[in-house]
Order: sequence, then C-alpha cells, then structure tokens
Amino acid sequence: MGRPGTASWILLLLGVLLASERAVLAAGAAESALSGVPSFRHEVMAVLSRAGCSLGTCHGNQNGKGGLRLSLRGQDPEADYITLTRSLGARRVNVQQPDDSLLLQKPLMQVPHEGGRRFVRDSLEYRVLRDWIAAGLPRESGSVESELHLVRLLVDPSNSTLSGAQRTVQLRATAEFSDGSRRVVNDLAVFESSHPGVAVSATGEVNFGDVSGVRQTTVTVRYLDQQQPARVQYFPGRADFQFEAPAAVNAIDVAVFGQLQRLQVNPVSLCSDDVFVRRLYLDLTGQLPTRQQAESFLASRAVDRRSQLIDQLLSADEFVDFQTLRWADLLRVEDKTLDTKGVAVFHQWIRESVRSDQPLNAFAAALIAARGSTYTEPPTNFYRALRTPEERSESAAQVFLGVRLQCARCHNHPFDRWTQDDYYGWTNFFARVDYKILENRRRDINDKHEFDGEQLVFMKSVGDVRNPRTGQRAGLRFPGSGDQQLGAAGEEGVDRLQLLADWLASEQNERFVATQANRIWQQLMGQGVVDPIDDFRGTNPPSNPELLEVLVREFRAGGMRVRPLMRMILNSAVWQLSSEAGGAVEIADAEIAPLFARTVPRRLTAEQLLDAIAMVVEAEPRFGGHPAGVRAVQLAGVRSGGHRYSRPETGDRFLALFGKPGRIQTCECERLSETTLAQTMELVSGPLVAELLSRSENRISRSLRSGEATERFVEDLWWRALSRAPSVSETEAMVRHVEAQADRRRGLEDVVWAILNSNEFLLRR
Amino acid sequence: MSGVLSRMRQFQRRDLLRVGGPGLLGLTLPRWLHADDQPATGLRARAKSVIFLFQWGGPSHVDTFDMKLQAPVGYRSLFSPIASSVPGLPVCEHLPETAKVLHHFAQIRTVHHTMNNHNSAGYTALTGYEPPIDDQRLRESLDLFPGYGSVVAATAPGSSDLPAAVAFPYQISDGSTTPGQRASFLGKQHDPLFFQDDPNDPGFRLSQLSLPAGVSLDRLGSRRGLQQLINSQSRQLDQSAAATGLDAYYRRSLELLNSDRVRQAFDVSGEPEVLREAYGRTTYGQSCLLARRLVEHGVKFVTVYFAPSIGGRSKTDGGWDTHGFDNTRMYEILPARHLPLTDQTLPTLIRDLSERGLLDETLVVWMGEFGRTPKINDSISRDHWPKCYTVLMAGGGIRGGAVYGSSDRYGGVPDRDPVSIGDLAATMYYALGIDHTREVHDNLNRPLPLARGRAVTEIFG
Repeated sequence: MGRPGTASWILLLLGVLLASERAVLAAGAAESALSGVPSFRHEVMAVLSRAGCSLGTCHGNQNGKGGLRLSLRGQDPEADYITLTRSLGARRVNVQQPDDSLLLQKPLMQVPHEGGRRFVRDSLEYRVLRDWIAAGLPRESGSVESELHLVRLLVDPSNSTLSGAQRTVQLRATAEFSDGSRRVVNDLAVFESSHPGVAVSATGEVNFGDVSGVRQTTVTVRYLDQQQPARVQYFPGRADFQFEAPAAVNAIDVAVFGQLQRLQVNPVSLCSDDVFVRRLYLDLTGQLPTRQQAESFLASRAVDRRSQLIDQLLSADEFVDFQTLRWADLLRVEDKTLDTKGVAVFHQWIRESVRSDQPLNAFAAALIAARGSTYTEPPTNFYRALRTPEERSESAAQVFLGVRLQCARCHNHPFDRWTQDDYYGWTNFFARVDYKILENRRRDINDKHEFDGEQLVFMKSVGDVRNPRTGQRAGLRFPGSGDQQLGAAGEEGVDRLQLLADWLASEQNERFVATQANRIWQQLMGQGVVDPIDDFRGTNPPSNPELLEVLVREFRAGGMRVRPLMRMILNSAVWQLSSEAGGAVEIADAEIAPLFARTVPRRLTAEQLLDAIAMVVEAEPRFGGHPAGVRAVQLAGVRSGGHRYSRPETGDRFLALFGKPGRIQTCECERLSETTLAQTMELVSGPLVAELLSRSENRISRSLRSGEATERFVEDLWWRALSRAPSVSETEAMVRHVEAQADRRRGLEDVVWAILNSNEFLLRR
Repeated sequence: MSGVLSRMRQFQRRDLLRVGGPGLLGLTLPRWLHADDQPATGLRARAKSVIFLFQWGGPSHVDTFDMKLQAPVGYRSLFSPIASSVPGLPVCEHLPETAKVLHHFAQIRTVHHTMNNHNSAGYTALTGYEPPIDDQRLRESLDLFPGYGSVVAATAPGSSDLPAAVAFPYQISDGSTTPGQRASFLGKQHDPLFFQDDPNDPGFRLSQLSLPAGVSLDRLGSRRGLQQLINSQSRQLDQSAAATGLDAYYRRSLELLNSDRVRQAFDVSGEPEVLREAYGRTTYGQSCLLARRLVEHGVKFVTVYFAPSIGGRSKTDGGWDTHGFDNTRMYEILPARHLPLTDQTLPTLIRDLSERGLLDETLVVWMGEFGRTPKINDSISRDHWPKCYTVLMAGGGIRGGAVYGSSDRYGGVPDRDPVSIGDLAATMYYALGIDHTREVHDNLNRPLPLARGRAVTEIFG
C-alpha cells in the first residue's frame, strides 16, 4: 500500500475476490506431513493458534489464563518462546520426559484444564508439540529455516460457487516463505466460516449441508500472522431456471442482476407508484409525502415521473435537513461537549456543505485540517468532541476509511491486517492537536466532558504518541503503508493535519472513496455492499464486488458529491424493486439482503417515525429547548439548548427510545434500528401517542368541528399515513367502528391509533 | 463487649476452621473459608433469581460488617459492635435486626477494584468490568459492558411472562447517568424493565403497564382489531422479518397489558399491612417487598437501587457517600438514615423469603460500589475505598454464616483470598447456573467472557 495513486486498495481486494474459480483441489496430506524437528515459528505457533490456546478468551488474554499468557493469536513468537521455555521451570515443558509437560497434559486433559480438551494424542497438534519438546525446544529447526519467514498465505479457491448436489468444497491454504518455498498448511491453519449456517472443517472443507436456498459465506483462513478470505456461495441450481428481471437501467442493475443470474435468483418486480412515492420521500427527506404530493405524483402520466420526482427531492430543503442529521450523528454534534453555540454553528456548517453538495473529500479535508475558534471555524468542533489522539484517530479511521482500528490499540488487529505500528503511526498524525480553552462555564465542574465556552483548536509544535510495542515515539504512517515515505513529515514545520487532509482528499484514495460510496448505498438500501459499513477488511468482503466497483467509479465520476451517486442509485431498478416476496424469491430476508434481489422492509428511524406521527395527527410533539413546530429531523443536537438537565419532554424520550443516538461515539452502530418491546409498548399505551391523540387541537378535533364525513376522514388519513387510498373493506370497517361508538371522538382516535400502529405505517418498504 | 472481642480474636486465626451443620441452639458458627476449599462441582442453577440491592454512594465496610475493633484510634469505628446470630461475628450496633439474621449471609470481605470515582466504580460494581479510565463522569456508551440483569436477560432469560430483568425505583447517577444499568452492546431488547415509580406511593402503578386515561382493555382490544385488519391488507408485507418482529412485539405488549398475573406481580397494595410495615413504609422498603413479589413471579434479576444519588450529607435522602462535606458527620448521618433503613428492610426481606421457602432459590446480594477509607478523615467521616470492602450474599445455595477472605487489621487491603470484581460477577452467574466464561461479542466483535474471574464457589453449600 503506497501513496495515493500508486496502489489501489480496493482493486487489490477485488482482484483477490474475482480470481478465477479454480478447480477444487484436495489438500494433499502428504505435502504437509511432518518431517524432522518441528519449527517453532511455523508449526508450534500455528498449532497453539489452531488449538485455540492463544485466543483472547484463553491464554491470549491480556492477563493470560491460569498463569499462562500467550500473545494474542500468536502475534509475538519471540515472547511466546520465552514464556513457553523459561517460565515455571520444568513443569510446563519437560525435555527429558516430554509427555510429562503441562503443555501436553493440559490440552489432553490428563490434568485438569479449564479450557477443556484441545486435542487428542497422536493428533498433529500433539505430535508437533511433543516432537518440539523432545528435540530440546529448538528456536528453529535448522539454520536455513531460521532465516525463513512467511511471505504470504494463499487460499485456493478464493472464490467458488457451488450448486445442486455439489455442496462441499475443499479449500487449500498454501504458505509461501521467504525462500520461495511453498507448503500446504491446511493442517496448521485455522478455518472460520462467517455464516453460522455453513460449516467448515478443521482441515478446510466447506460444507453447505442441507441448505435449500442460496447462501454465501466467507471463510477466514489464518496461519501465523496472516489471514485470507475465501468466498463460497451455494445455490440450488435448477436446469430449467429462467432468469427474469426488470429491464436494467444502469450499471448498478447490471452488476446486481448479473450476480443474481449466476446464483439463479430472480429479483422481484418494480414497486408500485404509491410505494415508490412514500419510499422516496422517506429516504430523501425523512418525511412522509403530504397527501397532495402523493396524489399529484400518482396522477402524473409522464414516463419519467419517477426520475423527475427524484431530481425534485434531491434539491429540496428537507433533503438537506435529513442528510445533515446523518452527518451530525457521525460527527458527534452534541451539546455537552460542543455547547449550544458550538452545536448551532457546526450543524449550520454541515448543513451548508450538504446544501451546496460539497464533495465529500473536501468536506473530510476541511474537518481534518480544521484549526481555530470553535465558534468561528465550525469544523474545529470535530476535534472539540474528540479529546485524545486515540479518539481522533479511531474516529477518523471509522468515518472516513471505514476501518475499525480500535483493536490495534492494544494488539495487532485479530481480523485485519492492521498492526499496532499502523495504529500508532496513524494516531501520531493527531498527536499535536491541542485546545486553548478561552472560557468554560461548565455547569458541573467535575465533568471533564462538559465544555461551555469558546475554544481554539491548534497544533502544538512538538509531541508524539508513544508506540507501546517499541516504547519509542511513533512515526507517521497512513494505514497499511510503512513509516518510510513519511519520514520527512515528522520533522518540524510540517503540518501533519494538512498532510493527512491532502492524503484523505486525494481522488486516488480508494479507501476513502469506497467507504463513502458504500455509506451512500447503505443509506438508501438499508444494507452496505460491505456491511457493516465501517468495517472494511479483507475478511469482510463486499457481497457483490462488481457492484462496489460501480459505486466507486460513479461516485468518483460525480466529483465525490452525494447527489449524483444518489440519483443513479434511486433511478436504478434495484432501488425500485418491490418489497413483496413471492414467485421465485421465497428467500429469507437475512439471505436476500446482501444480494439486493428484493427490498427488505425496515422500521422508520426515530426521527422519521416521530415526524410521521406528528404529520398524520397534525399535532406537534415537544422537544426541550426548541420552539414548537421544529421537526425531529431538524434538531441540531441531542436534547439541545441547555435542556440536558431538565426532565426530557415526551418528544425527546420518544426519540431516545426509538434509537436516536446520544452522539458520543463516531459509529453508525450508535443508532439503534432494532425494534424493542419498550417501543411497541410506547406506541400501544405510552404517553406520547396518547397525548397527541387527545390534544384539543389536532386532525381529529378539526374533523369533529367541520362535520367531516367518516369516509372522508378515513380516506384522508390513509393518504397521509400510507400514501394510498383505503380499500373498500378498510373504509367499511373503520366507518362501522366509528359509528358504533357513543362518542365519535373516541372512534376517530381509535382509527388513528390503528393506522399509527399498522405495519404499513411503521415500515419503509 | 469484652466477650465479643475475645471471641473475635479467637476467630482471627488464619487457620481454616470448619464447623459443619447448625450449631448450638440453632445458631450457625462462622465458617472461615479460603480458596483451597473450592468444591469440584458441575454447573447447575442454585438460584432461580437474584435480588441485587445496590447501595449507591459506597457504605463503610469498617463501620458495618468488617469492624476492626483492634485497629487504633483514628481507624477504629466510633460505633460499637454487637453480637450477631453467628457467634464470633459481631456487627455494628445500629444493625440489631440484621444481626439476628446474619447466619443467612455469607460475607466476602476482600472485594476490590481500582476505581475511585462513583460513576466508574458504580459501573464496575454493576457489570463486573472495570472501565478503561477512572472517570468521575464516565458516560454510558456502547463500548461499555452491560449490567448483570441485561446479561442474564440475554443469556438465560427463563420462561416467565414477565421481563427477565427489572430495575427500580431510581436511575442512579452522579453528575451523569451511571453506566452499567442497561444492556449496552447487547441491544436495547435486553435492557431491564426499568421504572422510577415509587412502590411506597399509595397510588403506585407501573407507568409502562398502565393504559392512558380513557383507554380500557376493551377499547384497546378493539383498536387491536382495527390494526390487524389494516395489516391483513398487505399480506405480502406481513411475511417480512421486520413485520413479523413487530407483530411479535405487539402481541407481547398486549399480553403484558392484559395479564392479571403481570399486574399482580407489581401490585404491592395487596400485601398484608403488617408485612408492608415490617419492610418499612419507605421507597426502599416497599421496593424490596416488590422485589420479592417479582422473583415469586419468575423475574430472574431484580435490581433495587438504594438511592438515586450518592448523597451522604443528608439524614433524609441520598446514598452512602458520607465524606463529612459541608460540616456533616458520617457518624451522625448513618445512624439517622442509612443504618435504620437497612436494618428494617434487609432482615425483613431475608425472613420473608425464608418463610415463603424462596430463600433457597433466591440469591440476595447487598453491595456498594466501594467501601470507605480505613482511616477516619478530618471531618470524622470516611472517603472512597475500592481496595477492599465487604459484600453480603444470602440465599441461593449460599452457606449461611460463611466468611470468605479477610482484610488486614485496618480493613485496608485483602489479607488473604482477595476477590476481584470479576470474581464477584462470576459468583453471581455461578449461582444462576450461567457459565461465566461464555462469550458475548461487543461492537468490535471482541469476544468477552460474561465475567473475567473465578466464581467464589466456596461460599456455596
């Protein structure tokens, strides 16, 4: 991984995944049979990992287990050698009588072992450990091999597709050493399947068992300090399969439908106009369409009416509100740390960037390079919320590069290639950020997270983070690259943040581009091509590599602006697919979601739902510190306006309950999208819905005053809530209910309650 | 006094002293236990439920259950000890009723961690995990570990129609909400059912289980009918996982609202007046009574918070944080508030559980986030002390009268058999038959054991 432009991380990834599907090779046991004295580095370390000894929950724990501490997943062979050979005298390893070694007795359960039996006598693990002990614990087996190190790990086939009766595939893991020699290491490597319903054996045979539908898994193969993914897919494979799909509109459809055709999955048809209009408004503005908006769209006969509406909403103010909310979550726009004025200026700055469709690389660069007053230079609030170099570096990596670096703070990343050196080299870019606190009128003097007053963000002229592995000051490195190219940058006078901003903003920065393109896709589709969207790594590959490639290309072609890519996605047949299963697509949501063959319904987000309720009932919920009439998607902070200490208003409570994040983490995961019992309890009998329904001034009271016929009331309600007319049976049932009530108001309240609690209202489909 | 003292000395020996069975006159002799007594037993549920009485603010261990009578002036408690139902185990003179039921309790006298501030120590005590930093205003975040109740709800919820975990009558905080009270990365579906209504309030009813004014169960039923009619219009939608999930939650919500059994579980008003008085007509007293009702109805983990705030300066409200600030005095405040409140409620709970035959299957845990300094400060009070403090456990298979671990002569550090907070968490999971080495995964996909430690199995019979 070199400088931007010289290396293309994503293409590298794609290259691995798109590698031709080779013939299945049975791993030849003979090639890897033990010969001679086992190598400590290449065999002993591997079997300790394979037997699970060096896992984080066992001896790889930072405190070890039962007095034995190994490095996590065997990342530090030197330390482990000393641990195994020098500690505890002769009990752990007994060269004279190898079978008396605890290193064998424990995992064989000949003596009590909390971790249970790890292997049996005469297994390869046993033989490797025993022979190594008997040979006198050699550091390496011979003079030549001591020079050897693992250069790379190859897994073959790296991408395979099975079908019909062919339900198994044998993976072959080959280690390539520094002398060019190769060795099959299936018996030393570890194989793990990402899909709990797909098994992989200890020697690398992937088995789909009695799976009946399409299914994908990624097998992570680990050997020593390297890991490689192998993608395996299965589909039933019918000879009479006929692929049918809506006409492809653009390259997105080609990529998605291409994969579906290969897997013999027919996508569903396009959604109806009434579903389209509701879905589009919710996705772009966070709001339901008004009745008038829905009706005028549905009345249109224009062939390109869908494209027209897409264009119209992409330039609406409400679109700006809703996009701003998304970034405000990620950039931690929150009162306690930023204070009320900081929230206001930062929110406004984000809003302006969204409004003008500022390219995301420029947006990111402005945040990264920010310096100055948190009141007059709004992007400095990014740093105001992130008070330590580690918080800054982890957040920046997660938001801008889609990488979860946190693990590498304490040890090399167990599922990724990031090392501790990468972590501290990256963190060191942020080491010199400091604050001049001009004023702090914090309410709680003991709360060091609270700031109220202006601050200046500036760069100190000195200061580096220390890499705990080396004990030395860290260098500077972009993730995945070495220190060397940036050696000069560590010197005085170099503006580290500007250097970083330039690197991040470079159009050739594949990681950045892919992360943002995938995030935009996820926002509209509910699922990333790489998912979770902030967890890009070799062992979490894209579910459709071609699709990701298309998104990256288009995002770059659109100048890294959000709207052009969104426009393309929204116009694709894929985004417009129906949510209705049926026909050939009787596949569970969990399996279908990464294939994008059907729209998977999802619950409205907290803000969408609350605004939708308010719009249907025509009554405004209350938020602490905000004037009446502000919509939930427009709220700048979290319980803002200094109202953190007062009792939350029902609107604030509702938003928290439905998953509005507290914005103290730079992670999409902070927003809850699941449904919980507390949420349905709130909708069924909670205070907010009850209060809005019983307001003296709402849609119900207006209906009563105007003498509106029940049919009209029901019809209008359906349009507002569901963007469609009620069916005959719906109207009849509602009218019957209302007319059976002695108190007409109660009847109308019941009808509104029922619509607010219906699946069709609560879900975006 | 001198008799007690001489008997104390007798039991200060470090040797293991084992006295099996109930002692003379039904009294139980103390069992001084240590780590080598660990019985080799498989994992089985000794307790069906836990009642976790959290003493927010940090009670002084050296003025209650681990009194250091031989410590020098300036360290020694200003309270006097009295004999308890366990010969040789004196307790504070202000806990005479508790003294009578002490034979039900095991004491762990060497619980320790490194967190000095309330929020970080509170989180530690509520989860069994120490936070990355000792932060006075440690904030809730998805990086932090879930509370015990949520772990139980996620890993061994049981089959009651009530939620697996319930917590009340306060949300505790110190400047900011104390982390560890909810499910964190396990997901909100595993949050305890949490309410702040006061069970001592004559009109107490659980807000979440109450219908809005003007909405009867009948009316709710007809609303449900209308809702289902609308749902039936979009049959295709109904098959989606999201819709199926929603409908399951609606069914559950309506069951909860409709269930007499659930309503009864929370109805303390039906309890005999004499029993309500015995628990004490206080929020804490009635909360403990409610806790008993809830475990009777199958709730697995009930958390009762003693107070919403750390307190310590008031004789009428707040928790155990008696520093002597603002010219207050610990030795005046504790006998006026905390000790009588404890002495009325805790023994009543134990007796009530015991009389109903519930004590064997209910583990009662009494603990704070830390103990207090062995040395009395300039305000004749004590400050925070996480290095060594005492936790009480009763029921759920606990060997009554057991004492595990001992502190040094000041009560300052563990003298033998230290028990980490992870050990303590493991002990509670052990009582519930939950394998504490079982892993959950956080948002970074890190595998984390439910507790990092070793269950103190020695205190179980």
